[in-house]
Amino acid sequence: MSDSGINRRDFLKVLGLGGSSLALTGCGNTDIRSGDEIIMPNVQPEDFVVPGLSVFYASTCTQCGSACGVMGRVREGRVLKMEGNPESKISGGKICGLGQAAVQVQYNPDRLTQPMMRVGDSLQPVSWDKAMALLEEKTGPKSGINGNEFAFMTGAMSGHLKVLVQNYLDSLGSRNHFVYEALSPAVSFAANKQIYGVDMPRLHFDKAKLILSFGSDFLGTGASPVHFAKEYAKFRKAPRGTLIQIEPKMTMTGANADRWIPIIPGTEGVLALGVANQLLKHGDFSKTVPADIVNLVGKYDPDTVSSITSVRSDLISHLAGLLWEKSPSLVISGASVEGHVHGVQNASAIQILNRILGNVGKTVDGQAQSPFPQLAPATGSFASLKAMNDGMGAGTYKAVFVYGANPVFTTPSFMGFRDNLRKVPFKVAFVNAIDETAEECDLVLPIYTAVEDFGSHVAWYQPEGVEITMQQPLMDKLYSDTRSMGDIMLDLVKQRRADEYKAWPNFFSYLKTAVTNIKPAVKYTDTDEHFWYDTLSHGVIHVDAPQQQIAENFSTDMLDLPTTVTSPDPKFPFYLIPSERHYFRDGRHANCGWLQESPDPLTTVVWDSWAEIHPKTAASMGIHEGDYLEVSSQNGTIKVKAYLFPGIHPDAISIPLGQGHESLGRFAKGVGVNPFKILNPVFEKNTGELAMFGTRVSVKRTGQSEIVVKDEGPVSTQMGRKLVVTLPADVAQLSKEI
Amino acid sequence: MSITNLLNNWSFYRQKRPYRGQYDLNRQYSEYKWAMALDLDICTGCNACTTACYAENNLPVVGKERFKHGHVMHWIRIERYWDENMGEFPEQGASFLPMMCQQCEEAPCETVCPVGATSHTNDGLNSQNYHRCVGSRYCSVNCPYKVRYFNYWNYPSTAWPAPLPDQLNPDVTVRTKGIMEKCTFCVQRLNEAKSRARTEYRLVRDGEVVPACVQACPTSAITFGNIVDPKSKVAMMWKNQQVDLYKDMQEKDNSVRGYRILEDLRPFPSVMYLERVRDMEA
Amino acid sequence: MIHRLLATLCFAFLFGAAAGAEPFVQGGPIGSQTPDGYNALGPVVKQPIEFPHYRHARDMGINCMYCHTGARRGYVSVIPRIDKCIGCHQNIESVRNKPRIKKLFEYWDKKQPIPWKKVNDLPDYVRFNHERHIQRFYFRQNRPVREVCGYCHGDVANMTVDRRVKALSMGWCISCHQKDHKESDTNMKTSHGPGECWQCHK
Repeated sequence: MSDSGINRRDFLKVLGLGGSSLALTGCGNTDIRSGDEIIMPNVQPEDFVVPGLSVFYASTCTQCGSACGVMGRVREGRVLKMEGNPESKISGGKICGLGQAAVQVQYNPDRLTQPMMRVGDSLQPVSWDKAMALLEEKTGPKSGINGNEFAFMTGAMSGHLKVLVQNYLDSLGSRNHFVYEALSPAVSFAANKQIYGVDMPRLHFDKAKLILSFGSDFLGTGASPVHFAKEYAKFRKAPRGTLIQIEPKMTMTGANADRWIPIIPGTEGVLALGVANQLLKHGDFSKTVPADIVNLVGKYDPDTVSSITSVRSDLISHLAGLLWEKSPSLVISGASVEGHVHGVQNASAIQILNRILGNVGKTVDGQAQSPFPQLAPATGSFASLKAMNDGMGAGTYKAVFVYGANPVFTTPSFMGFRDNLRKVPFKVAFVNAIDETAEECDLVLPIYTAVEDFGSHVAWYQPEGVEITMQQPLMDKLYSDTRSMGDIMLDLVKQRRADEYKAWPNFFSYLKTAVTNIKPAVKYTDTDEHFWYDTLSHGVIHVDAPQQQIAENFSTDMLDLPTTVTSPDPKFPFYLIPSERHYFRDGRHANCGWLQESPDPLTTVVWDSWAEIHPKTAASMGIHEGDYLEVSSQNGTIKVKAYLFPGIHPDAISIPLGQGHESLGRFAKGVGVNPFKILNPVFEKNTGELAMFGTRVSVKRTGQSEIVVKDEGPVSTQMGRKLVVTLPADVAQLSKEI
Repeated sequence: MSITNLLNNWSFYRQKRPYRGQYDLNRQYSEYKWAMALDLDICTGCNACTTACYAENNLPVVGKERFKHGHVMHWIRIERYWDENMGEFPEQGASFLPMMCQQCEEAPCETVCPVGATSHTNDGLNSQNYHRCVGSRYCSVNCPYKVRYFNYWNYPSTAWPAPLPDQLNPDVTVRTKGIMEKCTFCVQRLNEAKSRARTEYRLVRDGEVVPACVQACPTSAITFGNIVDPKSKVAMMWKNQQVDLYKDMQEKDNSVRGYRILEDLRPFPSVMYLERVRDMEA
Repeated sequence: MIHRLLATLCFAFLFGAAAGAEPFVQGGPIGSQTPDGYNALGPVVKQPIEFPHYRHARDMGINCMYCHTGARRGYVSVIPRIDKCIGCHQNIESVRNKPRIKKLFEYWDKKQPIPWKKVNDLPDYVRFNHERHIQRFYFRQNRPVREVCGYCHGDVANMTVDRRVKALSMGWCISCHQKDHKESDTNMKTSHGPGECWQCHK
């Protein structure tokens, strides 16, 4: 806008006229400047770079683990916007809001721009030379550190950087690669492994006539939300499939269900067996199921199940009827099922339905078997975290590296992770911005963001074949004093294995060599150089790999679930549901203005945390929206505003994860509360995973209240207006649509 | 635009809208009429479109305090409604409604601007001239969808701490205080596509240009295109759903899902929604 | 105080002139420039290298778009990349040691861009599409390039560094768009007039 001395208000005031005077004026030459601004030409750009025209570069989104192929729109050397890469089978040219926010991560005003070293109580900026010298001193060959004294915690990683990290650990003789994900799929993997022999089968949403989802938020936070959303769209086209969601608190997927059923948390497995009980009454089904399982399921009659789960008994037979009618179906489960003491059992009971219904091979089958298992993702587990935490507590480690994880923020208080971390004499964090974990470290190294770096990724959900998504810089590094994580790791490996790695001066050359080795697997016949450029410009390498055969192993000991009601602890009557928001996840991107301002789909709350509580429960306790509640578990208390939400079991209270940062930047610090902290030490008994949904809490009013800032107005219904109209499925004629 | 021009051509400029034949492939200056079709059954409420819009159109992040006052600037928003006949629980889920400027043919906002900052373009969009706007806010009073957003604050000084201004889209103005803004169907993309097409002696092809929200939507719930081209997907959808741009009350079967919101107020919006479907037997 | 000054100006001339823009050098009162902009003359702009357009465009007859390649395909006409200059000049021994060429090579050797000052600097809220104008006047109507570019930029071929010699104001642009041409959506006379703000205003 013109920065002339007059603004339009003054102008109108003076003239006392309306806009007609503007029409009378000649359009004066007031705003053309000559010689004020500088215009920089390019020096020697690529031929396709023309100022004023956009160039799109393909890359991979690393905001979550789905490894969607994306492309960045670049203008004058700056990446402005992310779009989906149509060549990626995972994203299919689409992208979610979290992927869009990758540019805000790049231009984060709180980005770490220099290495920081601990001096006394605070972190002070230092040069890279000093930083690398310190690294050399503490962990280099001359430091005398042996492999057992070193620990490297990473988040979920895949691709060639993962290989390099593991090679580094190997060079140190260390086996301490602790992969930690706050929201880890370990329980579902364990259940799947037992039953199907694979971590994750392939799900065909588009082929199902009925999806029975026990808490699986596949549209929001599942394995591959963008991909599943595409499949869901196909699922809804004629012939329209039906989605039934059963969960204690409505997720985004639940909001799209034809039927949403609330349930007491942790009892989903029992409900599944109840449905199985009814299904097996049909002669067809009982013939294909082993007798011992039929016997076990026989105990879960509708009334028993109803008393345990709070789901009405007629509903249970209704569900069985629907499953019998609509075939093939797909039965899936999600985090709210897995996060309990008997999480694996719950998941197994739910998968039994797939077995009974004959879905295996139709809507559930195997993913492709990757010919490059070394690139496959390493996924996190609590066991890993616990091992490291115990090791730190015992003083085992002399040096700890952390990359891609923020354990000080995401671990529950009972673990005392921060205190244990302080016992380690030398701690290094590799981050883009200082987070809670980096605040504790002795050396914090600024690495490239995803849009500045090279890399390769393999998602753990592959819809078709195996897709290795390439990551390339969408722009040159924004800050001169940042380095690529790959480059740093390569330097560290070379400390002990200089000869082996001397052919590669940097990570780029290492990656290029490694990726070019994939050429024969995809039967590319042109030169290596062309393969590399083709790969980067398409952004993905599709490897046609044979589909894995999945097993169907069910045994009764997988289905060890209660047959009686467990009475609640009167001191902690509520079930705490720490919910995962699809743009916040474990909170790593809380410092993005766009994401903070993006209303939560279910509650429309922004810039805050909230506790979802059923209106009836709230009324009985005299709670109104905005009342501050004290939510206490045996291991902590948090104060959070109430939000009356009908989509939750009356005995449950749900607080979203990802907020409550004490560091990370101006948009995240001090916003909301962190329910990770108050989780109790409840563990899933098969895997030792933290049972995130197994914490019970008490809820108390504090008497204080504050407005809940949200996008919805004071009314949450349509007040009789024809805004969103619902049509019954038997009236709609979707097959006649185009 | 002088007053003489306005007076001489008054009848031409101030004709009744919409009139049949104004968008016609044979009329040289109206080969385009941009329209949308939004399928509410497959919109999952994920908010990818709203974030994409923030990225594309330099929308300011207003912060908690100003959001509380209702000064949020999301040009497309997802409204979430519960069922009116809901019992104890929302058993049929929630209803999501993406709402953006409907680019009404007979826009209630166009007629009331005291300075003529909002008017209708030849390709059927409701244009908002930031430079002319003086901030009377009459247009947003008239808008039945409440999709017009006013810059109550000088966001350029606070919403983009360095280096966030590097992300700003150079094709879109960054608005300052006192200016009304709204969804433009990403007119910057449309203009670029039209220009490219004209250089190549052709019209813009169906699917060649889409607004940011349409491009991002993971379920492809939004369809966008030139409704004048009978072969475009959006034109075929409108025809198939028996929704006529020029009618204020559609005559169609019960089973047909297409409808326009608040149609009886007669703004003739260019966005058609497809009713959300629920399996009542579930 | 400024309000009074403004009021005087406004009531006298009914213009929305504001303080802060560079004054016109010659011609009538503010805003009275003729459509061909003869009365509009921007300031002399000192550039890092005093690039002689006359040597390249006039003496050597190089087409404007050889360097300003964006004009035919985008919104901006583009200041040429440094290797465009070097592409020829690395082979022209006869002028290699002239002072301005030496300066050019200094930038090139350091791989630094030359920080040119923008002369025809339209405000940020204006969307001016070079492509459409070049495509119409140069490619389709086959007018000579110096006439096409010169209509708005003046006789650059006879200048050293560029200097704005036409108004480039909205009124000046509209004066052409209001001519009696046949119907088109950019013709202010035959389009729906006020509705076409979005063609040029971002």
